[in-house]
Amino acid sequence: MASSIPASVPTDAPLWAGLARPRISGRRVPWLTMVGVGFVLLVAVIAAAAPWLAPADPLRQALRGRLSPPTLDGTDGRAHLFGTDHLGRDVLSRVIYGSRVSLMVGVCAVLIGGLLGSTLGILAGFSSGRVDAVIMTLADAQLAFPFILLAIGIIAVLGPSFPTLIVVIGLSGWVSYARILRSQVLSLRSREFVEAIQALGGSVMRVILRHVVPNVLSSIVVVATLELARSIVLEATLSFLGLGIQPPTPSWGGMIQEGRDYLDSAWWIATFPGVVLMLTSVVVSRTGDGLRDLLDPTLRGE
Amino acid sequence: MKLTRRELLEAVVAGAVSAALPRSAHAQTTQKRELAVAQGGDIAKFDPHFSTASNDVRVSFNLFDNLTSRHPDGKLYPGLATEWGLQGQSTWAFKLRQGVKWHNGDPFSSADVKSSIERTYDASMKTMVATVFTTIDRIETPDPFSVVIHTKKPDPLLPARLAFYGGQIVPKKYLESVGPDTFNAKPVGTGPVRFVSWVKDDRLVLEANPDYWGGKPDFDRMIMRAIPETAPRVAALLKGEVDIITQLPPDQEDRVTANSSTRLSGALYAGLYVLGVNSKRPPLDNPLVKQALSLAIDREAIVKELWRGRGIVPSQPISKGDNYFDPSLPPLAYNPKEARERLKKAGYKGEEIYIETTIAYVAQDKAMSEAIAAMWKDVGVNVKVEVIEYSVRAQKSREKSFKGLWWGDPTSTLGDPDGMMWRLLAPGGIYDYWRDPKFDELGNAARFSVDDKFRGECYRDMTKIFLENFPWLPIIQPYEDYGLHKYVEWTPNPNQQFEIRRFNFKFRRA
Amino acid sequence: MRGFLPFIGQRIVRALIALWLVSTVVFVVMRLSGDPVPLLLPPDAPTSEILRVRRDLGLDQPLPVQYGVFLRNILHGDFGRSIHFREPAVSVVRGYLGATLELGLTAFVLATLVAVPIGLLSAMKRNSLLDHASMAVALIGQSAPTFFLGILFILLLSLKADLFPTSGRGDWRNLVLPAFTLGAFAMASIARLTRSAVLEVLGADYIRTARAKGMSEMWVVAKHTLKNAAIPIVTITGLQFGTLLGGAVVTETVFSWPGIGRLAVQSIYNRDYPVVQCTVFIAALLFILINFAVDLVYGLLDPRIRAH
Repeated sequence: MASSIPASVPTDAPLWAGLARPRISGRRVPWLTMVGVGFVLLVAVIAAAAPWLAPADPLRQALRGRLSPPTLDGTDGRAHLFGTDHLGRDVLSRVIYGSRVSLMVGVCAVLIGGLLGSTLGILAGFSSGRVDAVIMTLADAQLAFPFILLAIGIIAVLGPSFPTLIVVIGLSGWVSYARILRSQVLSLRSREFVEAIQALGGSVMRVILRHVVPNVLSSIVVVATLELARSIVLEATLSFLGLGIQPPTPSWGGMIQEGRDYLDSAWWIATFPGVVLMLTSVVVSRTGDGLRDLLDPTLRGE
Repeated sequence: MKLTRRELLEAVVAGAVSAALPRSAHAQTTQKRELAVAQGGDIAKFDPHFSTASNDVRVSFNLFDNLTSRHPDGKLYPGLATEWGLQGQSTWAFKLRQGVKWHNGDPFSSADVKSSIERTYDASMKTMVATVFTTIDRIETPDPFSVVIHTKKPDPLLPARLAFYGGQIVPKKYLESVGPDTFNAKPVGTGPVRFVSWVKDDRLVLEANPDYWGGKPDFDRMIMRAIPETAPRVAALLKGEVDIITQLPPDQEDRVTANSSTRLSGALYAGLYVLGVNSKRPPLDNPLVKQALSLAIDREAIVKELWRGRGIVPSQPISKGDNYFDPSLPPLAYNPKEARERLKKAGYKGEEIYIETTIAYVAQDKAMSEAIAAMWKDVGVNVKVEVIEYSVRAQKSREKSFKGLWWGDPTSTLGDPDGMMWRLLAPGGIYDYWRDPKFDELGNAARFSVDDKFRGECYRDMTKIFLENFPWLPIIQPYEDYGLHKYVEWTPNPNQQFEIRRFNFKFRRA
Repeated sequence: MRGFLPFIGQRIVRALIALWLVSTVVFVVMRLSGDPVPLLLPPDAPTSEILRVRRDLGLDQPLPVQYGVFLRNILHGDFGRSIHFREPAVSVVRGYLGATLELGLTAFVLATLVAVPIGLLSAMKRNSLLDHASMAVALIGQSAPTFFLGILFILLLSLKADLFPTSGRGDWRNLVLPAFTLGAFAMASIARLTRSAVLEVLGADYIRTARAKGMSEMWVVAKHTLKNAAIPIVTITGLQFGTLLGGAVVTETVFSWPGIGRLAVQSIYNRDYPVVQCTVFIAALLFILINFAVDLVYGLLDPRIRAH
């Protein structure tokens, strides 16, 4: 059970242990998890500060300097640390701006999926057998489906656009949230639970607010983090297939697709965005795992 | 171990001999009896009248023969017809080759020619080539080896029309007995190769026709593979998995030329890569706007950088190499300042202009779209690039519902403006978004005239009208390049017809 | 959950409903996507021709009627004629299915053969270098985007090292890179989950008892651990096979592998409804069947379910 999160440091610990590593449920947050959270924040900062961080306009073409390898002194006299692509655009700037797309789509999709999933989960928990069965069968059906095909189908129909993308990606992840909320609601509704609270002389409302809600929240945070990683990868996959963010807006998946034809001549076009994508996905996933170990190991079975 | 004198001598001789031989002798010759080709897309149809896609034409052109044949040098040669001539203003007479057999052993005769050509414009057949022979009135077959074709009006280009797609001759008896579906599954023609088997998305196996009237081709089997992505296709060539690859983009050419066993070979495309314009949609209905758009494109940079110089900047809607191409016209100009002026004069207020581009339908279409969009943005055009699927493009083409501009690669099928500019921009054609009565009048007059000078003047005037109104924005006349191994002796055909008949293809053998 | 039969019965019902839902969604999405008929005809075809072809393909009926026909036909195993290939959709899909099964099975077997021992070893040698290294690699395998893994493999192992072909289907060499790409996620998941399952078992009381009795580590592991960890391992492994089908779409695209994943993507682009419906249905059917088989095995293994 989670409680509030104060930072407390035993006074007999070595000096460096005092560096604020908060405690959650009585355990110290591991370094790796903190680094992970820091990384996510770093990406968010980079995305927000892109116009100041990027050395060049990600859309500026320079046909004469196209396909240049990473260099400090390019054809146009400027440094291109990640090289230029097939239209002469600076790859580093495009990777930096690409973080905006990944983060925006990822966060929005997580919000949509979370809202939808939580709502459906609560509904399933509170309602009678019928509605509950329908929702759970929907969940099963979703898992039965190679979702990527549905995503491709829908986007091919509606045309790629930011709203379509976040809705589709959001739709792909509602099940995890629904399950959590449903099981919480079900256990809340169980007569034993209510009776026990009342027997102990407490108010059900207060129990919900002080214990259940933080518990649910921490589970949701874990799921949301893992979902963020998955959403970022799904967006990149769809952009790779040409169904995500459209040119000329830079996106990591789109850049990998553009670089595919140049793998052995201008490898930098696909490799840099790909490595950054992998790094982001791995770190965010690891952070999610770390948070799960910390907050709610019961989620492990998912 | 001490070497004997004899061994030493042998070693010296061997060394001298190998030093004398050219280093890459082995890479440049072969004993292969199987030709492997990789193209950029799979085959959809073997029936030559039901597809004009280049991936299908490469095959159907070799399973079947035409009456006349356009060789890579651009001239018309005898095919299934050995002689032909005008018999009066509107009548062409053809003498057919004797002793030709279909792949299933049936004898070839004039009945096949008549039924094949009539099939193309038979309304109930719904072929893809129904508009190729619209000038034909009726066909007579006075004997098994003569065909007389009457045209509605004088048609000097009929033999040229017969050389291109639509003119492949299909067998009357076999087709009637098995029906079109089986015919498409097991095609039978007179061509230099016979159908053996086809595994979708994997490979097509053809075998050489030993009784071919033009001589058995220089291989026993031919394998056609589809590798849509360019990098794997080039890799397949470099690794020796295939002997020839088609649709080699300029950016990959270094890989092919750097490798000591491969080379590139290209033909100047008999046609143009253009941006079609929906001139019905404002602001594209204003000729000044279109002129400005044309002036804002730095075609030189596109040719030099994106195409690595493998192409020329067009100067007119007639491709270089065609009849009546006017070499005195300058290449389409690049003048951004003038472009801004015209936009201002046109009263352009920043309305959105769309480029709906496909990916790899026309080579480099997406890259060129992005480059052109940046150039237009520089002169103040509010341009949006949208990527559409090939299927969507086909739908929009049919419904004439393009939002603005789109890519096309009009082919000059006859070596004459009648086969490209007029065929495609005529009323009812697929680019019919803009009409000018004088343009139409000239096009019709030129089609049915046999006066060379008169036709030249018509096309000159049509070009003038074109350059004021830009129903297309011609962008480049590229070299369509192929990658080959050095032991392949083969010349590409400018109109994408993949010619492996004996006179054009040979393995270099030691 | 008491009793085997009700357990299986419920599973069957859910499976059928899932299958029905899947088909319906596909039907709706494809119908919404627009008219495939213009693709089949020359650009200058007259409207009468368009109408005729539409009638032939049954596309002129109102949607509910089309849906009814669609459902009835599925029950007969008829998914209609492919608009692009002009032959029955089922035979088109059947032609591509073999390639996907080949790739999927190879990826799965590879993943299991590699991951289970590694998971086992990592659990047994907890916190060793092997443990940390393999779990780090597993993390990458599980979170890295499949398509980029494939591209990296092509870049490093095919183009630079020239060890394998870059694409297509051929002999065993063509199978290696796609199988590893497709199997990466499954391999990683199975390794991690095997490790946790074994760890849990290793920490259990009866293991300590066995150790205390003096039995050797290997014996302890062999007799007790595997037997008890088998249930979760089998479950996890079986589930991974199902998700491989989804991953096949991307892997087949990256490697130009002629399987149903690639077929489905191409058919969506071509608006070839019958083939898309058939492919998705068959993929879902396979997934459900596999899960069903896993449930069956689970039910047989888990004494709590077997008991009445």
